[in-house]
Amino acid sequence: MTDAQRAAQKAGSEPGPEAAGPPGTADTAAQGMTIVARSQGQLVRRRFFRHKGAMVGLVLFILVVGLAVTSIGAGPIPGWWDKTPTATATAVDGGRPTLSVVPEFLGGGGVHLGEHPFGQDNIGRDYFALTMRGAQVSLVIALLVGLIATFVGTVIGAAAGYFRGWTESTLMRSSDVLIAVPTLLIAGLIGTMIAGRGIVLFGIFLGLVTWMQTARLVRGEVLSLREKEFVEAARSVGTSSRRIIFKHILPNTIGIIIVSVTLAIASAVLLETGLSFVGLGVQPPDTSLGRLISDYQTALGTRPWLFYWPGVFIILIALSVNFIGDGLRDAFDPRQNRVRD
Amino acid sequence: MSVTNPPATPGTPAVTEAAEDVHEARTLADSRPPSDEAILEVENLTVEFPTDDGVVRAVRGVDYTLHAREVLGIVGESGSGKSVSSMAVMGLLPKSARIKGSIRYRGQEMLTMRPKEQRALRGRKIAMIFQDPMTSLNPVRTIGDQLSEAVLAHHLVPRKEALRRAKDMLDLVGIPQPGKRLGAYPHEFSGGMRQRVMIAMAIINDPDVIIADEPTTALDVTVQAQILEKLLEVKDEVNAAILMITHDLGVIAGMAHRTLVMYAGKPVEIGGTDQVFYEPRMPYTAGLLGSIPSLDGDREDRLRPITGTPPSLIHLPAGCPFAPRCPLATAECTESEPGLTEAGEGHRAACHHSDRLAAADDPTAFFRDDSSPITESEEG
Amino acid sequence: MLVFIVRRLFVSIWVFFTATIVIFFLATKVKDPLADARQLPDNTRESAMAVIIERMHLDEPFIVRYFLWLGDAIQGDLGVNRQGLSVNSMLDAAVSATLQLVIGATVISIVIGITIGVISALRQYSALDQTVTFVAFVCFSLPSFWIATLLKEFMAIDFNDWLADPVISVPFIAGISLVTALTAGGLVVGDRRSRLTVFGTTLAGMVVLLAALSATGWFNDPGLGPIVVALTALGGAIGFTVLVSGLEWAPPLKAALISAGLGIVAYFALGPVLKDPNLLTLLLLALVTAGVGYGVGWYVGGDLYRRNAIPAAIFTGLFTGAVIFLDRMLQSFASYSDSVGGRPISTIGASTPNYDGTFWQSGLDSFGHLALPSLALVLISLATYSRYTRASMLEVMNQDYVRTARAKGLSERAVVTRHVLRNGMIPITTLVSYDIGTVLGGAVITEKVFGWRAMGTMLLEGIEQGDPMPIMAFFLVSGGAIIVFNMIADIAYAVLDPRIRLS
Repeated sequence: MTDAQRAAQKAGSEPGPEAAGPPGTADTAAQGMTIVARSQGQLVRRRFFRHKGAMVGLVLFILVVGLAVTSIGAGPIPGWWDKTPTATATAVDGGRPTLSVVPEFLGGGGVHLGEHPFGQDNIGRDYFALTMRGAQVSLVIALLVGLIATFVGTVIGAAAGYFRGWTESTLMRSSDVLIAVPTLLIAGLIGTMIAGRGIVLFGIFLGLVTWMQTARLVRGEVLSLREKEFVEAARSVGTSSRRIIFKHILPNTIGIIIVSVTLAIASAVLLETGLSFVGLGVQPPDTSLGRLISDYQTALGTRPWLFYWPGVFIILIALSVNFIGDGLRDAFDPRQNRVRD
Repeated sequence: MSVTNPPATPGTPAVTEAAEDVHEARTLADSRPPSDEAILEVENLTVEFPTDDGVVRAVRGVDYTLHAREVLGIVGESGSGKSVSSMAVMGLLPKSARIKGSIRYRGQEMLTMRPKEQRALRGRKIAMIFQDPMTSLNPVRTIGDQLSEAVLAHHLVPRKEALRRAKDMLDLVGIPQPGKRLGAYPHEFSGGMRQRVMIAMAIINDPDVIIADEPTTALDVTVQAQILEKLLEVKDEVNAAILMITHDLGVIAGMAHRTLVMYAGKPVEIGGTDQVFYEPRMPYTAGLLGSIPSLDGDREDRLRPITGTPPSLIHLPAGCPFAPRCPLATAECTESEPGLTEAGEGHRAACHHSDRLAAADDPTAFFRDDSSPITESEEG
Repeated sequence: MLVFIVRRLFVSIWVFFTATIVIFFLATKVKDPLADARQLPDNTRESAMAVIIERMHLDEPFIVRYFLWLGDAIQGDLGVNRQGLSVNSMLDAAVSATLQLVIGATVISIVIGITIGVISALRQYSALDQTVTFVAFVCFSLPSFWIATLLKEFMAIDFNDWLADPVISVPFIAGISLVTALTAGGLVVGDRRSRLTVFGTTLAGMVVLLAALSATGWFNDPGLGPIVVALTALGGAIGFTVLVSGLEWAPPLKAALISAGLGIVAYFALGPVLKDPNLLTLLLLALVTAGVGYGVGWYVGGDLYRRNAIPAAIFTGLFTGAVIFLDRMLQSFASYSDSVGGRPISTIGASTPNYDGTFWQSGLDSFGHLALPSLALVLISLATYSRYTRASMLEVMNQDYVRTARAKGLSERAVVTRHVLRNGMIPITTLVSYDIGTVLGGAVITEKVFGWRAMGTMLLEGIEQGDPMPIMAFFLVSGGAIIVFNMIADIAYAVLDPRIRLS
């Protein structure tokens, strides 16, 4: 954390605390606009479900996750798709996709999936199954990174913001050290070190080097919350620091934390696929969406579907998560509709 | 640009209230009397905001006339429409606001003016002082810059000239070493001093009307009186009228010639400040007066708060909006909303039961409920 | 201020130093550098391993290896890689291409991203704003390697093919004109009628322009010519005056027009100098232009208008210079295109090997190689900057002091330029320091797609072979860039926000 960033928070350029007042405050009542009392949670939920982008994102995300999980199954549980990502076969029609979405009466081939909806690769593997496997891996890693980065970032940010002094400078300087390293460099080093030890470990380690942004946001929020009256009140009656942090401060940063999770997941999808693309991420026999693109990038001229499908899924995942995050941010921070009196 | 230490206290000593010279208190009686000339006429002003939950009817028909050199107090709870109506006068409401009615400055209709003409009045003839001096000044630009900008927006003068004017104004509002302070940033001033800067900014173009929107609410009690006094002083200096918006009747008492009480977007009582204070004809006004704590009162004179909360401005109840909280309410009150009717010389009130208040010895007594302990006042 | 900078410098050096320890540690553990040597047949294995162990000090503990590296690095010697090649000479070849890419992409993203963010904040909830927001979200979600591959495949190859016979097809003319017209219409303030007028004029103008360009084969031998340069310069003068002071008063406009006029004179007068200049000459010319602009503004503005006339004249002068620069570049296009076989947009490498031409031709060569990799990086950063700028601007526009500024009777233009813009830019400065790390990572990926042998290759090979020296060299440059950008951001912050200077 640099001085400038710290001042940015002091100056209130971070989302203000009024967005997340003490739980249970009806913020509309505070505006004097209406006396219909709604809890903070209800308000947030209502605003979120009214956010068109977020709803589209949510539906899209559920569809992609649902498709990835149910189609080829997970672990011992079989999916509804009859092919596996590993079984090879003869490539039919040059491996061309059989998916068709244009109905016959419009001059298309009718709406059907066909034998290999996404086509086949050069050794005849079903590309739909492969893409689904890649999506599963990319999703698992992204979710892990998102959760771990947010958890670590929240703990470090909260501790730095609350205790100040020695704790703060140690934590924030270590954050500065990590910020001075391009994420791709440190993630690539770690990814290569633990290559072949599984995607879960990879996800965990990626999370451990990408928490800085969240820590900064949470720290800024905690810094302003710790000066609030209700925290001072708790402190004055001798509440322990631990209890103040967990019972009084963190519940009020929940908005920032939830938004951070979504942003971290979205950028983790792109980070993992990027690393896998340059060969520093997921290693064979595992595959991921980035790995698939890397494997088949030369096929763009001859068999473009091998290049397109994984890319489309990366964009779908990142886009839907980003939309959800945007909706959540608006829901927790509704200042755009504020009317003064 | 210089860096000064230590970080805990601002490098240059902030101008503090203690530095203020003490002089004899100034009251409304000392200032020049108002004339009959109407400066600002507001007629049947309504303001509505469309929101996701429905249309918020923030102002539902406000009428008043502000005369030259007059101080008109507008009192009401938050949400009563007092600030929205004054922002409408300034032309500062968001674009989504639907404004109807008439606002005339010296006979010119402001609502139909071209934006450019409206801007020429804003800050020049009608100036405004806002509630929170901590956030109303741009933190990254110097005081001199922000003051001279107000001059340059309306006058074709060299910057040096504008800065000289800014310095004079700072001197006038009682800021020591005004020449030096021109180069200071807002964070180097205390709250009261910043509000003085805001006053200087409001009077810098010799306006006819100063709208002061809760000018003392964000300040320490000790500073409040100084600021109010300074307002009265500069009012005479530039010969302006003041529209004093507040939720605090105490502010109005020594400050305003006339008082307008607003409730749920409508004026409910208007009259001379003494009339409104001593002969309230609307239970809401009486309730507000009863809410003022007094030190010397006996047990019976303890705080008598108005119970309940103001109505939703989206779903207004039928009849008088105050009826649900009113101890005098009858069936009539929930059926029809009373209009403003004559209650005395230049005194009008909107209540079906003005006569009952007039007949009572102590109008605030209606709000006394001996069965309810005082602690319940926190609900209000 | 000086104390502030020195203290920042001290902290930065300390942070950087700590980071080198962390990275060196990871770099020594990343892979077994002896892996291939172990595969060698028995007779050569021992000696091959011994050579590598000796060269990489593998027999020493980590801490000794680190200080050996540090001692050399401080003296400017970055050591040798596993094969015994000097890392310094590897770096010399790699660093300028990568830094050009990274800095170019960052500067373009900042300038365009902030502009887009400001405009969409000022037109909040308009169709333009919604479109920009949606496009930004899509850009946020694009994997850089995927988009880079697509750009290489379609933009480069198809564009080069098209240049062979540069006729713009009718649907293309219609599409481009429509998009431009819609954007122009969206930018206009005012009622439906003025929007429609702008939309119509822009549409017609674009269709005629593109059709004319297509019919005359302009793209074979492009250039602006004196008339277009002059008109653009005068347009710029009016535009900058509107931005700086509005057109109500004559002196700022007069200063800007004089500045533009001087630029047009310079266009003819400087012909010989501009035939094959070097970078230094151009920088000097820019400096002279700014100085002349200042003078013009000073004299023409007089006491009353100096504040507005000076920036209007300087901006107009620099803008005219930029137009002349563009004209020169375009004029050299035909000869450059011929010299590279009619395929000016390159898909491989960071420059044409052994290319020798005038300043303009080598400029075009760099541009042809940088264009697509930069575009891939810009698309992604651009979204970040525009989103953050928009959010920050909206935040500031809600502040009380903006209301105060309006209450003073300032024009909307003055409110935005004097109160909203400056305050809104403050948080953006910190974003730069975060984004630069992402762009550096993105550059590694993009370089791989476009087959550059630059910093990215050095890093990837270093990791592949478990060789700390190239990895550390990569970190010295990239981490150094991050720290430098961080410091610039911090200093910009302190300049913009007086509150920071106190603490």
